[in-house]
Amino acid sequence: MIFAKPLLDRCISCGYCLPACPTYAMTGEEASSPRGRISLMRALETGELPEDDGTLAEQASFCLGCRACEPVCPAGVEYGNLLEQWRDHQWRGGRRPLRARLLMAAVARPWLLRLPGLVRRHARTAASAGGPSLMLGCAERALFPRVSRAVRTLVPGLTVPPRQGCCGALHAHNGDSAAGERMAKEFGEALPGTIVTTSGGCAAHLAAHLGRPRVREASEFFVEADVLPLGTLSVDGRPARVALQDSCHLRNGLGVWRQPRELIRAVAEYVELPSAAACCGAAGTYSILRPRDSARILAAKIDEIEAAGVDYVVAVNPGCLRQLRAGLRKRRSRVEAVHLAELLVIASKQVRPDRQTDLSESGS
Amino acid sequence: MGLDRDFAAALAEVVGPDHVRQSPGDLAVYARDATPLFHHPPDAVVFPATTDQVARVLQLATAYRVPVVPRGSGSNLCAATVPLRGGIILALTRMTQILEVSSEELLARVQPGVTTARLADAAAARNLLYAPDPGSRTTATVGGNIATCAGGLRGLKYGVTRNYVLGLEAVLPTGEVVRTGGRLWKDVAGYDLTRLLTGSEGTLAVITEATVALLPAPAESNTGVAYFESLADASRAVGAIISSGIVPATLEFLDRKCVAVVEEYAGLGLRLDAGALLLFGEDGPLEVVAGNMVRMRKICAESGALEVTVAADVARAEALLTARRCSLPALSRLGSLTILEDVTVPRPRMPEMVGRIDEIAERFDLQIATFGHAGDGNLHPTCVLDPDDEAAVERAHKAFAEVFRTAIRLDGTITGEHGVGAAKLPFLAERLGPAQLGLLRRIKSAFDPAGVLNPGKLGS
Repeated sequence: MIFAKPLLDRCISCGYCLPACPTYAMTGEEASSPRGRISLMRALETGELPEDDGTLAEQASFCLGCRACEPVCPAGVEYGNLLEQWRDHQWRGGRRPLRARLLMAAVARPWLLRLPGLVRRHARTAASAGGPSLMLGCAERALFPRVSRAVRTLVPGLTVPPRQGCCGALHAHNGDSAAGERMAKEFGEALPGTIVTTSGGCAAHLAAHLGRPRVREASEFFVEADVLPLGTLSVDGRPARVALQDSCHLRNGLGVWRQPRELIRAVAEYVELPSAAACCGAAGTYSILRPRDSARILAAKIDEIEAAGVDYVVAVNPGCLRQLRAGLRKRRSRVEAVHLAELLVIASKQVRPDRQTDLSESGS
Repeated sequence: MGLDRDFAAALAEVVGPDHVRQSPGDLAVYARDATPLFHHPPDAVVFPATTDQVARVLQLATAYRVPVVPRGSGSNLCAATVPLRGGIILALTRMTQILEVSSEELLARVQPGVTTARLADAAAARNLLYAPDPGSRTTATVGGNIATCAGGLRGLKYGVTRNYVLGLEAVLPTGEVVRTGGRLWKDVAGYDLTRLLTGSEGTLAVITEATVALLPAPAESNTGVAYFESLADASRAVGAIISSGIVPATLEFLDRKCVAVVEEYAGLGLRLDAGALLLFGEDGPLEVVAGNMVRMRKICAESGALEVTVAADVARAEALLTARRCSLPALSRLGSLTILEDVTVPRPRMPEMVGRIDEIAERFDLQIATFGHAGDGNLHPTCVLDPDDEAAVERAHKAFAEVFRTAIRLDGTITGEHGVGAAKLPFLAERLGPAQLGLLRRIKSAFDPAGVLNPGKLGS
């Protein structure tokens, strides 16, 4: 038994998921739609298709795992769960992509995770004082240490426990559900009480294993704690125009999408991208495992951002932030991608932390 | 079984090797559509990009006597796109261009793979309305809508798909391309092949382009909700509304079970204690909408409604309609095998039909929820079961056979908008009689002498 039967039985093949699926939009082929992939899972379950079938292997990896199919599914199919079970089976042993294996091995070593902190300064750690604690995501602490610092600036009382490890989302999404679950539980023990996270992907994964009430994604936390920076973020003497790229797992997994918009509106002129809710192609390790497909999805997103005439595009997940930055840099765009926490700090200081010159620009 | 190697090579030459799929995985996913209990893999899936490619594929299929099943998004509910005899699935999902939207001529020209919602959006961008509004509009294709003559939520006031098809480009199984009708509202030259092809379920020709009529978009629209003790009470309100001279844009009902699952999915704050919910809506000029909404509200109250409310804004009205459109998939929350059926009776006989459905459900010990288009008498009794309970599945088949016969006896029909497909074929003779059935078969052989297009369906 590869799949939990009630999960697989839930789908009635109505096809309402098709228009929400980014890979189906690319190919127009049933196999790359959520409904088609569930048909493939069924064929795997019944033995109609052998485990080493080429379509099974291709589609298990082609799917972004963005879960855009879940909110549009009236039947309530938990596609994200099914995908984890599928990859758990499909990518067992040597079949898992090498790059995923390397990453998973790296983030499963807590001492390795602490290394980047020695070079690039993320938020200072301190033992939990019992209140909400801030999570230092495994990718984010290395790539975007400013994000955790920004959160601490906005909410100085938030503790940042040391020796956090990784929440295991990476494992769960790459075919090792057992490790994913174990790591989430260990993470929950390391950070007792409410966990505040700046990553939509980690938030959804932790919520699935620790229970929704223990997890607060940053934008959700800010709104609930009434952390609203004063002042308006301006560019060239006018209110900044700011767009948002939703985190798929945050929006589709946890249903959080109003809060980041509300926060941006509080400090700037909010611009809704037509496909803000659609995946940017980062999709956890997707951009590393399937760079060409990821780039195709990203290209359309960057076109849209450029056309929107915005100054900033905000992300609420480190993977998306990395993806958007790479895409914008490649186009030599003047639009800057920042994490929501960074944007709020910039707004409250009116200083972009990396470019002091902007002060004079906005003052002129 | 697999395809003849020469035939497969010829197909690859026509559409390009990347657009012919024969891997077991691809065949597995094209083995079904949205109809439960029907399942058969094709031998190949072919993705043509042009009318010419469709023509050459059909020519080859006729020459090699290989069945061809045209397919859009596969959202149909009568197994019309299940390749029961194998052969090739002709997937039209690459033909997705909106070729023209004309405000002056009030029409649009589209390729078959365009989804209904995309066409409606393109029309709306020019302040025009594409009126057909099937529940599956975001997924279903225009080609598929035409092939099944899809209905939907606006049937009473605006009619169904066939009322909007002005002309078709279609390919006959012999490879000949015909253009029926065209851009004209008035055109009686020859038999009305446009209407014949509309609803032919892919058994006569493959639609490769459609010219559809548009209307000026109504300035305003609104929707209200009325709760009733029973469906009979709601039906009385429906009768009273229509007798009063109003032809509402929306008149939809859901029974208690449907309301519960729709509420679970959409979270609209619907009342769960009533026996039936009636959605009533109007569109048109502001004064007409405002006036008719007040009148309908009053009629509902006078017909014994427990509560009547009118949507405060467009977003709420749209949310109500969207929730209604997803009744079917939402019902599967009650059990993983969901058999949705589609009978129509004359409007005044609706309460009787609903009563008979309830009685049949009880007699066969089944859970059947009912929702539908109250305005046009189109009902969707939906049986929810455990797929592993074979005895219950067997009882459901028997129960639905009775439902269909009851509908025919009440001067109704076995399908109002989903089509006959493979699912309802056994009941077609009872609806049409032998003379008409014979004529259907002769028409089928005139179009498709080799019998390659969608065998096992209409005309078989």
